[in-house]
Amino acid sequence: MRRKQVILFFLIIGWLSPPAVMAIQRFPKPEFESGYVVPDAQLPLPRAELLAWLDVTVLLLTLSLATYLVLKRRSRMGVFLLSLFSLAYFGFYRQGCVCSIGAIQNVTMALFSGSYTVPLTVLFFFLIPLVFTLLFGRTFCAAVCPFGTFQDLVSFRPVRMGAWLNAFLGMIPYLYLGLAVLFAATTTEFIICRYDPFVGIFRLNASFGMFLFAGLLLVSGVFIARPYCRFLCPYGVLLNWMSQFSWKHMTITPAECIQCRLCENVCPYDAIDFPQTKKNPAGQRKQVNQLILLSLLLPLLVLGGVWTGGKMHLTLAGVNSRVRLARMIQATPVSKDQPEIPEITAFRSSGVQQQQLMTEVATIEDDFLTGSRIFGGFVGLVFGITLIRLIRTPYRTDYLPNRGTCFSCAKCMDYCPVLKDKTNN
Amino acid sequence: MKKKIILVFAIILFLAIVAWMFRDLFTGSPELQKNPYDYGMKELRQTDTVPAYKEVTPLKPALTTITSIATGYDGKIYVAGKGGVDILDISGRILKSFTFPGYATCLTVMPDNTLVIGMGDHVELWDPSGVQISAWQPEDTTSVITSVAASQHKIFVADAGNKIVYQYNELGKLQARIGEKDPSRKIPGFVIPSPYFDVGISPAGELWVANTGRYKLEKYDNDGSLLTSWGEASVTLEGFAGCCNPSHFTILSDGSFVTSEKGIERVKVYSPDGNFIALVARPESFDEGTRGLDLAAGSNGRILILDPLRNQVRVFLPLKKH
Repeated sequence: MRRKQVILFFLIIGWLSPPAVMAIQRFPKPEFESGYVVPDAQLPLPRAELLAWLDVTVLLLTLSLATYLVLKRRSRMGVFLLSLFSLAYFGFYRQGCVCSIGAIQNVTMALFSGSYTVPLTVLFFFLIPLVFTLLFGRTFCAAVCPFGTFQDLVSFRPVRMGAWLNAFLGMIPYLYLGLAVLFAATTTEFIICRYDPFVGIFRLNASFGMFLFAGLLLVSGVFIARPYCRFLCPYGVLLNWMSQFSWKHMTITPAECIQCRLCENVCPYDAIDFPQTKKNPAGQRKQVNQLILLSLLLPLLVLGGVWTGGKMHLTLAGVNSRVRLARMIQATPVSKDQPEIPEITAFRSSGVQQQQLMTEVATIEDDFLTGSRIFGGFVGLVFGITLIRLIRTPYRTDYLPNRGTCFSCAKCMDYCPVLKDKTNN
Repeated sequence: MKKKIILVFAIILFLAIVAWMFRDLFTGSPELQKNPYDYGMKELRQTDTVPAYKEVTPLKPALTTITSIATGYDGKIYVAGKGGVDILDISGRILKSFTFPGYATCLTVMPDNTLVIGMGDHVELWDPSGVQISAWQPEDTTSVITSVAASQHKIFVADAGNKIVYQYNELGKLQARIGEKDPSRKIPGFVIPSPYFDVGISPAGELWVANTGRYKLEKYDNDGSLLTSWGEASVTLEGFAGCCNPSHFTILSDGSFVTSEKGIERVKVYSPDGNFIALVARPESFDEGTRGLDLAAGSNGRILILDPLRNQVRVFLPLKKH
């Protein structure tokens, strides 16, 4: 399997030929008068309605197939092949758009902005994986999301990480989700799309910085399996929540676990919970005291987050282009000697009065004050819950996939010697 | 141990990526302050080629705004500009000046030393002593006269406004309209995106026109048929860069061409068949943004370049005979 991964990886990298990356635009074309009529510049046409629904259908089919392969067939090879199809279709053919991860922003903006309506197909891209995850676990991550496949292809030497490190890095997606929702709700920016590491590769078109971003992420992905999925993906947070309550989640063993420990080290995502039969390794009283303390601290952490968020609202609002423009105008002295910043020139030529801009900015900053407080409270809550989860040691007798973080990739299944048919007999 | 090092490396790398994202989001890239539409010419202006000419002391006309230059058959240098003409010798001494109302946009000298001066929308003939002989206006309205060239009985007038070259006799009578778009005669017409449209006459009496939008110098016969052309678009020294170049040219006694460009300000010599021979002046020799580098051929291989920004006639001497 690994050898195939290596070959596939180099095939893809070879395809991304250097000229495409390094190409620069030719010297501006001259205005010839050869009878050729230069067509009007057009924005890319939206995808035809029918094709958008085809995408939804493909999403449904791939999710269904992925779920079947994981839960019924328990086929890692099947999951792998399906994930390659998803990479080709949702990644290179659909060029990473629309994607469920980015759809968070569309849905948020539709909820908070009266002037924006989320297309039904985008809404389905957001909801269908969540519904599937609520029913069957994160099969979307296993074989449908092209980001996951891409990172899986480079995961040559995954290194196990400790629980605390996983928990610490695992808080980043919550921050990212919170910021993405805040900026989408205030119609500021779609940061998930702005920092989409792989869309440039799918489209073979991105700035050097974004190619470098993707490249470095893939380099880190050689050792940290699926770094984006585990420690950045904001949609992964929602999937994690859904998967915790999933109706039928995959299991490592098809029947009773024989405690052979063969699966102990196979999960590159540290998503297998080990048996915990010693009910209280740290001393029951001590653990209970810690939990009580943290439970009492939790509201304080939330309040602290609310306060900190409120204090940071002007910094967060600075990401908004209108706020940034207003600050630029206030900070830039009018000087004939220095060329004006293009944004300011564009604003002055728009005819909008500066006072009108300032009023608009004041409203945006007010929205950010509310949003930043909620965001801060959310971060405080996540921090507190993460600490609580690290301290508590639930009783387990078997090796179980962690329902929240398991990607249902079926890698561990290949290592399980228990046969379903045999045990059934 | 090795695994730990790898893990630390990978985590630091990952955290660096996350830190970059946050920094980029909140502080904004310094690139934001740069004009994304800025037409950066800095790199294109650089060249490693050493010029085959050296600059000597420039000549300073009395006129405060100069636009055009020509050398007469008597070896004198004629400089025209806002409100008059200065006649200089090779050392830069002003031999004669005369004034007129208006703004000369181009100038040439006939074999009998009569000055043909383009005045934007009309043409004037002047005696070198400062007496006006005649004046006429092209029939077409919206004329922008950018260049004139003359032999004994022919005066060619380049009109950038109407993208045409008129041929007059010395009395101002229209003889021919050259280069007008005519698909039946396979004449594609001139492409002149900016008011730089130069004409010249070779020692053999052939008319050459700078079709700047096509980056070519084109040769026309007496009935206005296109005979030949050379030139290509390129930012390299061999070609012409920008939207429309060469902005000016002059023809040396051996039939080779000297061209000047705007955008990337540079002056070069080409063989009579259009092969690049030598660099006269590199872009660094001029102030950035200099336009209208009119040219004239001086004695002893000198190349005279009118620098309107510095209000000088720049003189370049060949380091050796090509």
